[in-house]
Amino acid sequence: PTPKDTDMELPNAATNSGDKKFALPVDSENKATEFRIYSAAAPHMRAFHLSWVSFFACFVSTFAAPPLLPIIRDNLNLTSTDIGNAGIAAVTGAVFARITMGTACDLFGPRLASAALILLTAPAVFCSAMANSPVSFLLVRFFTGFSLATFVSTQFWMSSMFSAPVVGTANGVAGGWGNLGGGATQLIMPLVFSLIRDIGVTKFTAWRIAFSIPALFQTLSAFAIFFLGQDLPDGNYSRLQKSGDKHKDNFKQVLYHAVTNYRGWILALTYGYCFGVELTVDNIIAQYFYDRFNVSLHTAGIIAASFGLANLFSRPGGGLLSDVVAKKFGMRGRLWTLWIVQMLGGLFCILLGKVGSLGVSVAVMLIFSVFVQAACGLTFGVVPFVSRRSLGVISGMTGGGGNVGAVLTQVIFFRGSRYSAETGITLMGVMIICCTLPLLFIFFPQWGGLFCGPSSKGITEEEYYMSEWNSTEKDKGFHKASLKFAHNSRSERGKKVDSALTPSNETPPTHV
Amino acid sequence: MAARGFLVASLLLSCLAVTCYGVTFSSLQRTLLVTASPTPGQVLKAGEDQKITVTWSLNQTFPAGIDSTYKMVKVKLCYAPISQVDRAWRKTVDNLVKDKTCQFKVVAKPYSPSNNSFTWTLERDVPSATYFVRAYAYNSEDVAAGYGQTTDAHKTTNLFEIQAISGRHASLDIASVCFSAFSVLSLGGFFFMEKRKAARVSK
Repeated sequence: PTPKDTDMELPNAATNSGDKKFALPVDSENKATEFRIYSAAAPHMRAFHLSWVSFFACFVSTFAAPPLLPIIRDNLNLTSTDIGNAGIAAVTGAVFARITMGTACDLFGPRLASAALILLTAPAVFCSAMANSPVSFLLVRFFTGFSLATFVSTQFWMSSMFSAPVVGTANGVAGGWGNLGGGATQLIMPLVFSLIRDIGVTKFTAWRIAFSIPALFQTLSAFAIFFLGQDLPDGNYSRLQKSGDKHKDNFKQVLYHAVTNYRGWILALTYGYCFGVELTVDNIIAQYFYDRFNVSLHTAGIIAASFGLANLFSRPGGGLLSDVVAKKFGMRGRLWTLWIVQMLGGLFCILLGKVGSLGVSVAVMLIFSVFVQAACGLTFGVVPFVSRRSLGVISGMTGGGGNVGAVLTQVIFFRGSRYSAETGITLMGVMIICCTLPLLFIFFPQWGGLFCGPSSKGITEEEYYMSEWNSTEKDKGFHKASLKFAHNSRSERGKKVDSALTPSNETPPTHV
Repeated sequence: MAARGFLVASLLLSCLAVTCYGVTFSSLQRTLLVTASPTPGQVLKAGEDQKITVTWSLNQTFPAGIDSTYKMVKVKLCYAPISQVDRAWRKTVDNLVKDKTCQFKVVAKPYSPSNNSFTWTLERDVPSATYFVRAYAYNSEDVAAGYGQTTDAHKTTNLFEIQAISGRHASLDIASVCFSAFSVLSLGGFFFMEKRKAARVSK
């Protein structure tokens, strides 16, 4: 395809001739090779800031109700069962939405896909002000929860903008800072509520007005994405697809190779017991502290917020740890670290339910939050290597699995009055431990698993990743990108292996 | 070492003190007679200036002097069992410090054995539920020493309902719908703009 001059269309569009200067150093695909957090330079860093802020907004909206539940439950005459059901509904929608989002990003690009999802879920947040019964409350939480699928578009967008050496950091920070919204909302909503009440509005109306803040924030972020964002360093999908620069893969094949890879399913389960647990705690923790320790709404909000706010460093830290461990121990190191960190998260969760004094409880909760969130970051240190061809669907499956874990945990332990909240938390910790055990079964023939070294048959990275393509596709040359990735992934053997690595321009890939 | 021991001891003592001061409900005698104006099963509306008149006096059948320690009476609005079902935040617990049955204060008045009455306007933030009225008599250390209530011991008779305000307003509803429509319409606008850009390129 001949290079097209597209400068007339977008002020920051790149020409294919490559003489366009970017603010950051780029590789041959024009993906940034550096991650400069204080910059907002278009298109790379701007995409980063747009994606984390919009994901943050979606988290704020999805978990806007929990800190205000002590008021809402009296206004709408909710029972514990109603509250539990609504909490489950809030995380259920995103199970399928996350899987679908991967495909939507493929078809329309992350910019349109995320802006569309955000604008379609904003009405649910606006209409939360009209809820007047347990059913309507459940419905608004259900539809608002779909917006959590922006996780997938965030990770997809970062993978499109940042090259292998920094893509892990970009993904970890974008994911972690987005998750911050779950914590920030526990501070924001009680604050907004008390401001509105202080000007004289009655409690049962004040909480309704308070919901307009996350709703407006969400809508504005979608506008920002549309007008300021760009799918790829070279431009937007709609233009690039017309010029033939992007080849569209076979959806059925991509789906097949994702679904038949057992590692994707194991990671979906274990992600359900780090991220899923994080979502559950976002839903129940404010009420837990308010009811068990008799703190004020304001204080309960602050405590609950500190859980989510740990995401500022804990999730990115987990991702970073995964990369650091992989340098010496390769994929086996990543798996071991993930297993240890998540197990410890489970132990601290058990402890949290047992602790009866406020101060110690807060301390245990904070330690628990660091381990659980780091486990999320560590999970996405393994995900990019499970499949190259079906990366989008595997990421979506893992992300969706996170939400399934949240649904399951809330259904079993936090619905109705069968278990007290503290018993539920302890039992959740036990379940974390049980559901982290399947990690022991993950085995990569080219690198090994937790207990076994690489397969004695000497399977290489190329053989593993090429098994996803059949001969017709290989004839057409579709597998070339996977081949490149396979070669670069040799670093996952760890330092002990004799460096058969041919020096290449690209340093080993981290998360995608 | 000694300092740590002292700290632990004082912590334990203070914990004990708190639980000691948590008088249990079952230890109180029903020494007060309380009546309230709502008839059994009556539905009152919050936020519409509806009033409840509560009267209370000492039950003279008790031996004289039982009220010698009573200094203050606090009258409270309490949840009936039916409104406590599946709602742990309204649970009845014997330890009065942890009890959440009575969450709304009607009035606090100095104690006198007879001629006590108070008219209370239903506040706007009272939730929809079934209620009864209870009065606690407190001694000079602010520890409950006696009580009285409008219902029986099982809290099944003489209950009344209060209907809360919805908290919704027409203006809020309209604003919500307008903003929602705006979001969806702007999405349509985005897709339209995107299509036009792509069409312009292919020309």
